[in-house]
Amino acid sequence: MSNLLIVIRKELKRVFDDRRLVFTTFILPAVSIALIYSIMGSMIGNMTSDIKSHVPSVYIQNAPADFQTILADDSLKERMELTTVPQGESLESVKSAIQDGTVDLLVVFPEDFSAEIEDYRSNRDVPVINTYYNTSEDYSRNARNILFEGIFKQYENMIIGERLGGSHYANAFDVDKGNTQSVIVDERKATGKGLSTLLPMLIVIFLFSGGMGIGMDTIAGEKERGTMATLLITPVKRETIAFGKIIGLGIVSIISAASSFLGVIISLPFSSVIFGSRTGSVNLGALNFGAAQYLQLSLIMLTLVGVFVGLIALTSIIAKNVKEAGTYVVPIYMLVMVSGFLNMFTTGTPTTVRYAIPVYGSVVAIKSLLEFELAWLNFGLCCLINVAATAMLIWVIKKMFNSEKIMFGI
Amino acid sequence: MIKVQDLQKVYKLTKKQMSKNNTREPIKAAVDGISFEAHEHEIFGLLGPNGAGKTTILRCISTLIKPTAGKITVQGHDVEQESDDVRKNIAFLTNELKLDVNFTPEYTMFYFGSLYGLSKEVIEQRTELLFKQFGITSFRNIKIAELSTGMKQKLSIAVSLIHDPPVIIFDEPTNGLDIITARAVTDYLTELKNKGKVVIISTHIMSVASKICDRFSILLSGKIRITGTLSQILAATASSDLEDAFFRLYSENVQEGI
Ligand SMILES: Nc1ncnc2c1ncn2[C@@H]1O[C@H](COP(=O)(O)OP(=O)(O)O)[C@@H](O)[C@H]1O
Ligand SMILES: [Mg+2]
Repeated sequence: MSNLLIVIRKELKRVFDDRRLVFTTFILPAVSIALIYSIMGSMIGNMTSDIKSHVPSVYIQNAPADFQTILADDSLKERMELTTVPQGESLESVKSAIQDGTVDLLVVFPEDFSAEIEDYRSNRDVPVINTYYNTSEDYSRNARNILFEGIFKQYENMIIGERLGGSHYANAFDVDKGNTQSVIVDERKATGKGLSTLLPMLIVIFLFSGGMGIGMDTIAGEKERGTMATLLITPVKRETIAFGKIIGLGIVSIISAASSFLGVIISLPFSSVIFGSRTGSVNLGALNFGAAQYLQLSLIMLTLVGVFVGLIALTSIIAKNVKEAGTYVVPIYMLVMVSGFLNMFTTGTPTTVRYAIPVYGSVVAIKSLLEFELAWLNFGLCCLINVAATAMLIWVIKKMFNSEKIMFGI
Repeated sequence: MIKVQDLQKVYKLTKKQMSKNNTREPIKAAVDGISFEAHEHEIFGLLGPNGAGKTTILRCISTLIKPTAGKITVQGHDVEQESDDVRKNIAFLTNELKLDVNFTPEYTMFYFGSLYGLSKEVIEQRTELLFKQFGITSFRNIKIAELSTGMKQKLSIAVSLIHDPPVIIFDEPTNGLDIITARAVTDYLTELKNKGKVVIISTHIMSVASKICDRFSILLSGKIRITGTLSQILAATASSDLEDAFFRLYSENVQEGI
């Protein structure tokens, strides 16, 4: 058995023999992520469907007859609960009800609205319809900005049409009237697009956090506890020890990240809204990744793990103890998260240069991959950069292992 | 054979260490130009008070740290150029080397044995032998975390000897041991010497040294004051026992210091 294998096996045994570590590294991520995402997803889902199903309560005063005809249309009648405020009555109680959120919208026409409309030829100010609503209430905002915006438009067209001599004069065209097949999407790309907002960020975060705790323990911890020195007086080459620890840590990171993804998948029935689904379910099957895509995704993640584990190992070696390692690793973790966030909101095709930025480039590549737009050149570039960064980190780590100042605080 | 020639080790001190040592000097010569040899069939003792530089010398021989100046060879291998070969040939015990407490003594022996390239059979054979010698058998499958300090020390000794090397370097080997275990350790060191091994120990306990060591160096503030057999040292210092000799040298040293 080669020394490298011996060291890797011992690193893994150390983790898998320890029930506490197994729980915190492999079980806890799946359980907590499944829970958090399910709860978050159900809450967002409830909110949207609640707004959709809520029937707004609308108060109206001095509505002219033709406006009332529009509101009396069957399709609108069921979309609101209409109450007429008699002419001249005070509006204060309705307004305060809007403030409490019990009433959603108040529409007030001027008393002489119809007369003013008739008199459009004289050069005066046009009549004003006043609306009152509450921007801090989703229902209220929705009633004003979506429902009544359309109704007002329709009413205005009707009036203009009459002035011109017929309603069809003001209606130049309709959009998608009677077209039931207006929405055309490639379900595969749509699913990918939905996932590409959040998933790349989750991948990098899961991969980094998966190795963070154990990495600090296996290197800074061993230094602190004096077990590293015991290893250093064996004839095993220092780079073998370093490699063994890095590979062991890489394996742990990957398994831990896989556990986090399991959590995401478990939560999908409740959390699909988070992942950009409109239909209420994310059909992972629709992604229909080919062998090439799976290969690309695995290679990006694998080479990225190298960079992450290298970073964690390097900081842990420089640190005197686990606590100090924590203060070095956390800022790096933040940077990793930021490169994930940055990418969430970018649109358009990224330039090739972006793929060459370590870590960030991988996020960009995973996003492009999910959108079925990752070119082989960019993929290669991203992996190459990761491999180069890992090699550089390992080179520095090897130097550190040979430094007595670092290893023994001399 | 171990050959140490003009060994010097200078530590760079951090600000914290400087204020702790109450000094303005940013460097500390922990070992300052020492030479000695330790041979097969011999237990060689480095004697000196705390801070004399014993651990530093043994760390340099064991390749854990690099000499600032001077040359050390172990069985003909240079500690700087051929450190891997040196490490194959030595057992090093010092209290800063700790064992991972999450494993059992049995697994620890297996792990280190494998790292020295031993076969499973040889590891099992050596483990039986050493566990019996130091009374570890009864707790061989208990996690190290649950063992007492003495038990851990015994296990550390067994682990360091797993590969049966020709050179044994023990830093304060009886520290923290009860008298029975301490006796088991010194007896075993004598046994190893009789088998033809090179044995070096460091200690500040004169009785231990005079009992088992064949030759000594007395070390004060990083310098060797005298090297020789017990009778040579007693004659040179006109003393009746080792402790006397030590204090005579110590007071001379203090006077020189002033
Ligand atoms: N890592 C270090 N950095 C700075 N000074 C050190 C270090 N290790 C030991 N020293 C100093 O070197 C001197 C010799 O220490 P050491 O070799 O441990 O002595 P001994 O083992 O004889 O007690 C002491 O003064 C100690 O303070
Ligand atoms: Mg010491």
